This record gives sequence, C-alpha cells and structure tokens, in this order.
Amino acid sequence: MKRAYRFCLLLYPREHRDQFAEEMTHVFEEAFAEGRAQGRAWYVRFGFAEITGLIGGAAGAWLDRRCAAPVPAQSPAQGCMPQELVEAQQHVDASIAAMVHAIANHQFERARLLSNQEREARENLRMLQEKYGREKYGDEHGINC
Amino acid sequence: MRHVATQSASEAKPLTEPVLLILTSLAAQPRHGYALIKDIEVLSGGRVRMSTGTLFGALRRLLEDGWIERYEVEDTTRQKQAYRLTAAGRRHLQVELDRMKHLTRAGFARLKAAEAL
Repeated sequence: MKRAYRFCLLLYPREHRDQFAEEMTHVFEEAFAEGRAQGRAWYVRFGFAEITGLIGGAAGAWLDRRCAAPVPAQSPAQGCMPQELVEAQQHVDASIAAMVHAIANHQFERARLLSNQEREARENLRMLQEKYGREKYGDEHGINC
Repeated sequence: MRHVATQSASEAKPLTEPVLLILTSLAAQPRHGYALIKDIEVLSGGRVRMSTGTLFGALRRLLEDGWIERYEVEDTTRQKQAYRLTAAGRRHLQVELDRMKHLTRAGFARLKAAEAL
C-alpha cells in the first residue's frame, strides 16, 4: 500500500510535492502503523479512503494551480502576443486539462506521462516568456501592448 | 480592487467541513499533520477520519490564504511540520462559528414554534 501511496503522490503538481510529499508520507505511515493491527476491514477502508483522498487532492491541486495563474483566452490585447507564445500557453492549458481528466478516470499511468508533458510545455512557455520579455507578456495583471 | 472583492466573497462563503474542523482543531494549539487527523476524529465524535490527501489539500489552501502558518518548534523536521492559526484565520473561524450559532438558534426556535402549534 505504501508503494501505491507514493505512486499516487506523483499525480500532484511538482510544487505541492516539493512542499508536502515527505510530510504526507510520514503522516500516512504513522496512521498506517497505528491502525494496521485492527484487521483486514480496517486495512481496506483505510487504503480506499487514502487513495481516493489523494486522487481528489491531486485533481484539486491542479485546478487550483490553473486558477491561480489565469491567462485570458480571448483578451482584446491577445493580438499583440506573439503567436508562438499563445500556442505555448494553450499547450500548457491543454496538458493540464488532459491530466485532470486522466486522474478523474483513474488512468494514473497516462496522468504521469501527461505530467511530464506538462512540465516540458511549461518549461517551453517559460523560455518563450523570457525571449519576449516577462513583464510584457507574462504578467498576471494582463498583457500590455 | 480585485483583491478586496475576492476577500469579501471568501468571507461571505461558508467554510467547508474539512476547513472548519482544521481551524477548530488549531484554535486550541499548534499541531502537526497526524495530530490534526487524530484531533479531528475526536472533535467530530469519530464521524470524520480525514485522509492525508484531504488534509494537505486544505492545509495548502489555508497557507496560501494566510489563515494558518507554519510553526517552528525545536524538534520540527520536514517530515513533522506544525501549523498554527494566524489572526486572519482566527477571525474567519469566529465569523463562521457566529454564523452557525445564529443558524442553530433560528433552527431551534422554529422547531419549538412548530411544536407549539
């Protein structure tokens, strides 16, 4: 079960994992060690609750992350953005949406692949933002032309 | 301006059960993750056994909103991090408890009125 737990942690965004993965694993192990003597029924209930909690938590973390940095899809100023920057942002958004969908459908292997894909897309976006100037195109307050 | 609007919207919105339980648990003293799970189980009379996914999802949001903060104690490791309420978190908990008190009073008053008929 511990292996399944660690695997499910991979579904979370990297920032969440960096911040909480160690602590979550430790809390899980403490709870597991204390309750395991209670028998098979407890084991099944506990495992089910933990795994579904992680899946829901991962989906929530991705959604929160997406909401935290909105990029206006139909901004009037978008015409001023270089096309490759618009496409890179769309690629990031599409990767996140696909990953949330995969998590919701319990396709964890696919979600893990999409997580890597999303990381690459985000890195590409970051490089493009640097190329065109972060202040001008990547600012959270909007796009200034 | 946008920030102010968001603040008032979040203040007006009732807290979710996990958030209410976490804030209530931290109202007494700082606690780390496993202590929170155990205390919440006691607080809810054994009804709620919070999973780590739910707990840390809520803790992350509360940290981002500034309602709780990490609490440094001598033996704190990365694996065993304590959390405590901030002034903002305490205020939000107070508002929510007042709202619930008001609702409970109104509910009992109406039940009593219906029985009297």
